[in-house]
Amino acid sequence: MPVKWLMHWQPHAGATVSSQILAEVCQCVEGFGGATKEGRWRTTLTFYRPMARDPSSNAATGSNPGDLPRDFLGLALHDRPDAYFFILRHNRLILQAEANVQLLMDKLQSYKARVVLHFEGFQYRLGDFQLRVGKCVPSMAETLRGIMMEVEYLPLSSIEKSRQIMENFFDIWQETLAKKSLPGRFIIDDPNLNFMDYGLHDQYTPQHTALQYATCIAQLMAAVRS
Amino acid sequence: MECVVQGIIETQHVEALQILLQGLCGAPKERIRVHELCLKSGPNLGVVPSEVRLLCDLAQPTPSWTVRHVGGSMRGAGAEQISVLVRTVVESKVGNNALRFFYALGYKLDHELLKIGFAFRFQKGAPITITVTSANKMPRLHATDEAVPVTPGIQLVEITAPAAADNYNDVASAVSSFCEYLAPLLHLSKPGVSTGIVPTAAAAAASLLSNSGGKTI
Repeated sequence: MPVKWLMHWQPHAGATVSSQILAEVCQCVEGFGGATKEGRWRTTLTFYRPMARDPSSNAATGSNPGDLPRDFLGLALHDRPDAYFFILRHNRLILQAEANVQLLMDKLQSYKARVVLHFEGFQYRLGDFQLRVGKCVPSMAETLRGIMMEVEYLPLSSIEKSRQIMENFFDIWQETLAKKSLPGRFIIDDPNLNFMDYGLHDQYTPQHTALQYATCIAQLMAAVRS
Repeated sequence: MECVVQGIIETQHVEALQILLQGLCGAPKERIRVHELCLKSGPNLGVVPSEVRLLCDLAQPTPSWTVRHVGGSMRGAGAEQISVLVRTVVESKVGNNALRFFYALGYKLDHELLKIGFAFRFQKGAPITITVTSANKMPRLHATDEAVPVTPGIQLVEITAPAAADNYNDVASAVSSFCEYLAPLLHLSKPGVSTGIVPTAAAAAASLLSNSGGKTI
């Protein structure tokens, strides 16, 4: 599977994210020579929280994470509709399952999908790169929670071998974006340490993507808080 | 959703059952060696207590994992009238760290079994699967190599067929019809309704074995 990097939009201090910024970022991509728009994409991230038999217990509030996880993530990736990924960050655990495992979780009635977020936008092809620019929005609202990008380098599936070319692409992208004088910039999480913590290796897999989304949402939430 | 019936057969008659199924099915049997781990929700987890089964298929060169949830069976007058159990089942293939995942969610190991046997799959009005297995328990946690039979001399026969809300009656009929072929060797009924072994089994088995020339398939 081709290697991918996710980056998220980090607004400057005091600035906020807006649809206008997203539009400008899309314009930037379209301004690259040879970039072609290929259609829409959507990845869905779900926060699962425990359901307690006794509502007064700590399990429901998540104040006792030693007992039960306060929450965990479920991910339906746009390019793997047949699969679903669970991520337990506290346990450094990622589980891949078939997509219908979501139905099984519903049947168990032990954890409930409390918050559902969509990452969605347009997909572009630029030579050997596939770019996806997207916004993060709650499933039941239009409130913009953040802006992010997927950069996929189609010829390589080794993270290490593609590192240099991805870094070069990122530098060019930042230079291009800087000309717009937007109130923020894209940040790459360096998730290599995370990958190894979760038992993932150099050959890129959908699990790497799921984990990057987990990191991305954590970064977006941190950006909103700050 | 699936239609299911179960029965038991003495191990000494399993070879005859295999000959009968081979004749009915035409396709070769599949070997079953499944490590089944039954997990139950810990105290206070979930709106209601829940149970999930992790199945590790050890018959494959690389073991593969499936998580299975068996839901409530269909109730009411309609359900009473049909001779098979109709119940909801959700199965999903999962990675090999599924046990760690469910432990982390607060599920506890209730019991584990090693099921050894064979299966036949075929189309007879519906895609029918018949499994014949012995249940084996382990003296130590996960020690599948040391498993010993839970009920020596007795094996479980289960017939299942996938169904949907709009066709379960047809599927139930197909399963019931198929059960009639096996009637001389064993009785099949809804899970939990014990019908024991049938008195004609020994004679039927002897007949099947003599007709097949005593060849082991």
